[in-house]
Amino acid sequence: MSFNPLTEKGIPLDRQIRNWRELDVEPIDPDDADPYTKCRIITMNAIEVESVFFCHHLNRFCTDRAIREQLAHSRYIEQQQQKVVNWLLPGTQSVLETTISYEQQAVDLTAWLARNEPDPYLKQSYDFGVLEDFDHLYRYANLYEIIEHRQAEKIVDGLTEVMPGRPTKWEHRHPVDNVRDPYDKDSVDPRSKLHTLTLVAAEQQVMNLYMNVGPLAMEPIARRLYQEIALIEEEHVTHYESLMDPRESWWERLVLHEYNECYLYYSFMQQEPDPKVRAIWELHLNMELEHLRLAADLMRRLDGRDPEEIVPRGIPETVVFEPNKAYLRELLNTQIDLTTLGAGYVREAHERFQRMQETIHGGQEPPSEQVIEEHRVRFGGHDYRLQTEGEHPDPRLQQRPVTARA
Amino acid sequence: MDDQRTAATPDEDVVELLLHRHGEIRNLFDEVRTTEGDARREAFGRLVRLLAVHETAEEELVHPLARTTVPGGEGVVADRLAEERRAKEALAQLEELGPGEPRFLPLLDTLRRAVLEHARAEERYEFVKLAQETDPATRQSLAAAIRAAETVAPTRPHPGVESASAGSMAAVVDRVRDAVRRASAGSG
Repeated sequence: MSFNPLTEKGIPLDRQIRNWRELDVEPIDPDDADPYTKCRIITMNAIEVESVFFCHHLNRFCTDRAIREQLAHSRYIEQQQQKVVNWLLPGTQSVLETTISYEQQAVDLTAWLARNEPDPYLKQSYDFGVLEDFDHLYRYANLYEIIEHRQAEKIVDGLTEVMPGRPTKWEHRHPVDNVRDPYDKDSVDPRSKLHTLTLVAAEQQVMNLYMNVGPLAMEPIARRLYQEIALIEEEHVTHYESLMDPRESWWERLVLHEYNECYLYYSFMQQEPDPKVRAIWELHLNMELEHLRLAADLMRRLDGRDPEEIVPRGIPETVVFEPNKAYLRELLNTQIDLTTLGAGYVREAHERFQRMQETIHGGQEPPSEQVIEEHRVRFGGHDYRLQTEGEHPDPRLQQRPVTARA
Repeated sequence: MDDQRTAATPDEDVVELLLHRHGEIRNLFDEVRTTEGDARREAFGRLVRLLAVHETAEEELVHPLARTTVPGGEGVVADRLAEERRAKEALAQLEELGPGEPRFLPLLDTLRRAVLEHARAEERYEFVKLAQETDPATRQSLAAAIRAAETVAPTRPHPGVESASAGSMAAVVDRVRDAVRRASAGSG
């Protein structure tokens, strides 16, 4: 029998609050942990952060005191879950190392979701987005070698390649061109709603991280690069969140959030090699099952609808962190030149795009180009790459030959 | 990755240089634990020298400046020195044990984590403030002084130069300390 989050029994809410001892989790070892364990931690933190903020907004709109109290209770538990999950990250990992893990996470999560996305327009939107996070990984990896004198290979461990994607400088689009068309909540495959919600949460957390830690960097090039990429991440939040049907009710959305948390904790529990981390995924799944049951009750009561109408029948194929090298190389080969126009995708540098480019760049190379140039100057003319499967598929983006110095 | 592969530039900042060394130390830890036999022995020899040179240069050159220029510098430096002392003790123990011993790897792992924590603490609580409180020229001359001290015990010595005793931690510490003190006496 397959796992059904809507019928499984979880831990009663009044037994979910944890004490200091339980909150004080032991962090993973930055040099020993599976890179994908870091990715799963980063994803689940993003999911919890989204869940908490969604619930805060719901609280601001909700007029019923009893429901507000119930939401406050489950939201407090989500806060504790976020603390436990994110506190698995070690203080000995530098912010830049965490950043590289964030980008590895964004790349392999988005690529997996794109590969498994049933809706062609949504798949195109994920394919479009992943090439940009892929490029960010390359830019930060170059910054990492400049500042910390270590190679990003130590962090991504050859699971994800590091080379240019859609060049970050071309990712600055006019804001109106970041607004996609939403799926139709009544006809879309329920898995698509979960995929989109996961990406909204993930990109929102990447945006939050960069806009908060960027100014804490000392090195001018690091400050500038975080600033530039943080702007792109906001474009991504707009891009993904506009895919969600705005006609979904608050209660419907609450159920989707809770269902998605169950789905992802359940997924990661299957894959997690670190027993201590796996125990947390399992515990949190058992908490989320109860949050889902309560959310489903609210939807039945206040919308008069059955939650089973809006979620998948039986849990979908589990989300897996795994290499997506061939998939990404195919996209690099075919989609580098895409940009957006209105809700769609085009290949030409249309007028609004060009105007935006001129405005933001102001006639100079952006930080994402400066960082590569600085790396070349310091490291014998080379940029940093990790190409485990051969040369870059796009000849224009292959390693530039080193010119002899005078 | 080669150690010390980027050459000194006239405007090299000491904070930048120290961050590079921290990265190299961490790489060497990885090399020691992922190699075996002679390769591990050789990598461990380089790790001992690099750590000895780096920590001694910090103690002789960086911490004294931080102590006087950084607000709360006395306390910050005292904490770092305590960490360095513990690391040196663990390193001496490892040296005595030798890479062939079964206890070597667990002890190396303990030292690796301690050194990483120490390096991060320096970066966050000492170097950030040092960069704030000192002028570029001071930091550049400090970088040059560290580079000079490092030449006393290169981590990749020329063939034939290296002797059995050349790598021992205590010997390296002494040589670096003498070199730094001679240089500052000469310039003072």
